[in-house]
Amino acid sequence: MRKHENSPRFRWHIVVFLAPAVLVYTAVMIYPLFNTLRLSFFAEVDQQRVFVGLQNFHRLFGDAIWSNQFWNALGNNLWFFLIHMLVQNPIGIALAAILSHSRLRFAAFYRSAIFIPTILSFVIVGFAWKLILSPIWGIAPGMLDAVGLNSLYAPWLGKEEYALTTLSLVSVWQFVGIPMMLIYAALLSIPEEILEAAEVEGITGLSAFWKIKLPLILPSIGIISILTFVANFNAFDLIYAAQGALAGPDFSTDILGTFLYRTFFGFQLQLGDPHMGSAIASAMFLIILLGVCLYLFGIQSRMRRYQF
Amino acid sequence: MTALTLSNIHKSFGKVEVLSDVSLTVEEGEFVVFVGPSGCGKSTLLRVIAGLEDATSGTVEIGGEIVNSTPPAKRGIAMVFQSYALYPHLTVRDNMGLGLKQEKQPKSVIKERVDAAVQMLDLASYADRHPSDLSGGQRQRVAIGRAIVRQPKLFLFDEPLSNLDAALRMNTRIEIAALHRKLSASMIYVTHDQTEAMTLADKIVVLRDGRVEQVGSPMELYNNPANRFVAGFLGAPAMNFLAHGPLPVADGGTLGIRPEHLRLTPEGRLTGTVTHVERLGGDTNLLVRTEANEAITVRLFGQDSTEVGATIALDFDDHAAFRFDLQGQRLR
Repeated sequence: MRKHENSPRFRWHIVVFLAPAVLVYTAVMIYPLFNTLRLSFFAEVDQQRVFVGLQNFHRLFGDAIWSNQFWNALGNNLWFFLIHMLVQNPIGIALAAILSHSRLRFAAFYRSAIFIPTILSFVIVGFAWKLILSPIWGIAPGMLDAVGLNSLYAPWLGKEEYALTTLSLVSVWQFVGIPMMLIYAALLSIPEEILEAAEVEGITGLSAFWKIKLPLILPSIGIISILTFVANFNAFDLIYAAQGALAGPDFSTDILGTFLYRTFFGFQLQLGDPHMGSAIASAMFLIILLGVCLYLFGIQSRMRRYQF
Repeated sequence: MTALTLSNIHKSFGKVEVLSDVSLTVEEGEFVVFVGPSGCGKSTLLRVIAGLEDATSGTVEIGGEIVNSTPPAKRGIAMVFQSYALYPHLTVRDNMGLGLKQEKQPKSVIKERVDAAVQMLDLASYADRHPSDLSGGQRQRVAIGRAIVRQPKLFLFDEPLSNLDAALRMNTRIEIAALHRKLSASMIYVTHDQTEAMTLADKIVVLRDGRVEQVGSPMELYNNPANRFVAGFLGAPAMNFLAHGPLPVADGGTLGIRPEHLRLTPEGRLTGTVTHVERLGGDTNLLVRTEANEAITVRLFGQDSTEVGATIALDFDDHAAFRFDLQGQRLR
């Protein structure tokens, strides 16, 4: 009897409380994810779905028609990510540092103004920039002309060598508010007394930023980097809105998202192939998983969390 | 030489005046404590000396130089903050060395000074740890070490013990006193704790509402308070103030008698009922309600068997009583 009393009772309330979240998450995330992974092992032969093992992946990486497109998209995606890391995040940090300066006037106005593009739809941003940069109706050539820099103008979205960089910078323009806000919050959480202690020791201005503030916001910068990585490798909307699913000119702006879209749903003359599409989606999932794991186990675990 | 001279310091935040007409001097090697209730402006005064706030008017002179427009780092001061304010991302050693590095001191000098401070403060076994791995007392010592390595003309302490528990507070207090003796540097120490003020200071500055109430050595202030506020602020338990005492006072004035100057007698000028007894072992405090319905505290040395509810008679020596007028000024 005593033993029975002492044995822990199954705690049903835990199951009950977890159930709603687990059910919803399973229905919209876990089930589709695993179903996509499953689908990538099938192919349609004579209008029949048959199991083909790793054949789709073999085709994706072995068949030049597929693999050239895949490596092109992956390479473009890396460039897209690199521009965000080298332009968006440093600018975000710099803006946050400037905004957190107590003597800046209208800080709240600048903060909102810089953040507003983030809440705009990709369609609006893509279309608006397409119009701005258009050589025919765009205001960009006219504005450059007005300051005598007309020679600098090129149809940036229409040239293979510029189009991807241009779109990356448009995306940077749209999302620079997010690292800015996160870093701004991190900077505000640094206690005033630490900065005053530094001031008494002569560490002010830029050296206070490099020696005190930057080390203390490193954990936030890490979070921003991984958020940028995931968002960039899942990106699709801006390219689609600005350049269409063919990611022109000549696939020079094609990233994994647009490549997946064309393959899965089909576009113009290309027929949709959900099985090859799933194979690409699975490859994307693994790339992102790998990146996140590298970050979590390689970088995050070595980073110190500071309590003030 | 004079370490610090403040002349007619005024400081206002907008319309609120937090310091008005503060003038005082700190001699070379002196330990000066600013004491007062919270909001009296003592921390603001320290920040004005440090240069973290600018005085609205008046001059600050450190080591004979007017430093009103000198940035904090060039004033020859070092400050220890209430929250320690250590750099969380640096080790103990780097915390102490960062300021010197900023001054572009040669590496050998930095190492030498940091090593000396680590030795002096008994931090050798923690020197390569981060602040988050240290206890409150150890962090406090690192903060003091960071001040020492700067070899300042003037040390500023902003309530450095208020985040420590009672036992540690006493130890650290003694360490700070020992440090002052060893360095024989000029120090300014801000606190709201009268015990810290009495035990550490060569000179106490009592502040209230942004004004200096009285300046003097601890015993001067205890034996000879200028007004009712100073009399009531220093000494524990606090001085008793009687409006209906046995000695004549001016209209609306009060009679002040310290609890330790009252004694139990069979016949006395004060009688009352004991409402509470605190037995501390070495002392016994009686809370007494007098016949005139005024609450007073009596401090008896040693142990006493008086019970709650007992009616007792008290007396005191006339020269131990202070008389204050309606405004609280001492009448002599």
